[in-house]
Amino acid sequence: MEEILNNIYQMTAFSDIIAANGTYLVMYLLAFVLLYLGIVKHFEPLLLIPIAFGVLIANFPGGDMGVYQADEAGRIVDASGKVLAENIWEMSLPQIAHDLGLMNFLYYMLIKTGFLPPVIFMGVGALTDFGPMLRNLRLSIFGAAAQMGIFAVLIIAVASGQFNIKEAASLGIIGGADGPTAIFTTIKLAPHLLAPIAIAAYSYMALVPVIIPLVVKMLCSEKELRINMKEQDKLFPSGQKMKNEKVIKIIFPIAVTTIVALLVPSAVSLIGMLMFGNLLKEIGSDTGRLFDTISNSIMNTATVFLGLCVGATMTVQAFLNWTTIGIVVGGFFAFGLSIASGICMVKITNLFSKKKINPLIGATGLSAVPMASRVCNEISTKYDPKNHVLNYCMSSNVSGVIGSAVAAGVLISFLQNMSI
Amino acid sequence: MITNDIYGALQLLVVGMVTVFLVLLIVINLGKLLIWAVNKWAPEETVAKKAAPVAKAIESIDANTKAIIDATISQITGGKGRATKITKL
Repeated sequence: MEEILNNIYQMTAFSDIIAANGTYLVMYLLAFVLLYLGIVKHFEPLLLIPIAFGVLIANFPGGDMGVYQADEAGRIVDASGKVLAENIWEMSLPQIAHDLGLMNFLYYMLIKTGFLPPVIFMGVGALTDFGPMLRNLRLSIFGAAAQMGIFAVLIIAVASGQFNIKEAASLGIIGGADGPTAIFTTIKLAPHLLAPIAIAAYSYMALVPVIIPLVVKMLCSEKELRINMKEQDKLFPSGQKMKNEKVIKIIFPIAVTTIVALLVPSAVSLIGMLMFGNLLKEIGSDTGRLFDTISNSIMNTATVFLGLCVGATMTVQAFLNWTTIGIVVGGFFAFGLSIASGICMVKITNLFSKKKINPLIGATGLSAVPMASRVCNEISTKYDPKNHVLNYCMSSNVSGVIGSAVAAGVLISFLQNMSI
Repeated sequence: MITNDIYGALQLLVVGMVTVFLVLLIVINLGKLLIWAVNKWAPEETVAKKAAPVAKAIESIDANTKAIIDATISQITGGKGRATKITKL
C-alpha cells in the first residue's frame, strides 16, 4: 500500500516541486503576478496573458512544456545534467516535437528561426496609422532621441564585465521598447539569452503605464506638462497641409522601405514587413482582404504563439540566475533612459524654439505603440482636461518604431559576424 | 578584452545614434517632399459628402444635446464629419 502511494506521489508534480526547494514556487508566483497585471490591471492583456500562462505551464515538472535552451553547439542538457539532444540544429522538427515536446517544436520552428518577429511587425504595420506622424513631421525626430537608452545600457553592460558586447547589445535593445525587435536582435546576437530578454522586454512594455509616469514625474515640471500643443499650433502654425492624404500615405511606406533598405539593409526584415502591412492598409478596398487577414488572423495567431513560447522559455533553470537578474535590472535602465533621453531632447529643443513642445512627446519616442501615447495623453489630461496630446505623441511614437528597428539593424550589422 | 569591448560599445553609440538620427531626418524630409509633391501634382482629395437625411431619432434628442454632439464630432473630425443618426441606448 505504501509503495502504491509512493508511486502515486512520484507520478504527480509534487515530488519534483518539493525537491526543488521552492524554486518552482517562485516561477508560479511570477506567473500569477503577470496574470494579475494582465487580467485585473489590463496591462497589455493580449501579450501578458499568453506570456504569463506560458510561464505557468512551462514550470510543471514532467509536463514537457518548458523550452530548453541549446548552447552554441546546439547541445541541450536538462537540470539534472542529462543530455537531451547532442545537436538540435541537426534534428528535424518532428523529432524535436517527439523528443522535447510540443512547446520546443513551436519555439524552434517559430521563434528561433526568426519567423515570428517580422510577421508581428507586418501586423503592427497594418494597425499603424502614419497620419499623425505625417501631420507633425518635426516631432518625429524625438523617436530618434529615445533610442539613447539602447546604446547607453550597451556601454554600462559591457563595462560591468558581466556581458560580452553581443550580449550587452541584446540587453540594450530592450530600451527600444519593441518586443519583436528585441527578439529579432537577440536571436541574431545572443540566442542563449532570448528567454530573459524577451520576458524583460514584454514585461516592461506591459508596464509602460507605470514606468512612463515614474520617469515623467522625476524629470518634468507641472508647467511643462501643461504645455498645450493645439494652442502652440495656433500661435505658430506649421507650413504644409496635406491636400491628398491618401496618396501620401500610399507612397510613404514604399519610399521609407526603399530609403531604409539602402541605408541599413539589416533592418529591412523588420521595416520592410512593417511598411508592407501598412501599405496593404492604406491601399484600401483593393487589398482589403489581405489587410483583414494580416491585421486579424495572422497577427492574433502570431501573438498567441509568440506569447506562449516566450513565456515557456522562463523555466526555473533559465530564469533564476544572476545573468537573468542582470538583464531584468539592465532592461529597466534601458527603458527608463530611453524615456528620459526623449524628454531631455524636448527640453533642449524648447530652449531654442519659440514654439514649445510638451515633454510627454519626447517620452513617447520609444516604441510601445500605441500604449505609450495613451499613457502620456492620460498624464496631460490629468493636469489639463482639455490638453489632448495623443495625436502629437503618436508622431514620435510611430517614428520610435522605425528608430528602434534601425538601431537594431546597426547592432546586427556591426556585431553579427564579430567573433567573441 | 573589456577595454576593447567598451571602445566598441562607444563606437556603436556614436554610429548607432548618428544613423538613427540620419535615417529619421531623411524620413522626415522625405515626408515633407512627398507632401509638397502630392500637393502640387496630385488632385485634391474629395471627401464624399453623404446627403443622407438626418434620422428621425435625432428629433427626439433635445437641441442642446444635439448641439453638443455636433460640436464634439466637428472637433474630433476637423469639421469633416457629422451626425447622421443618434440613438438613445
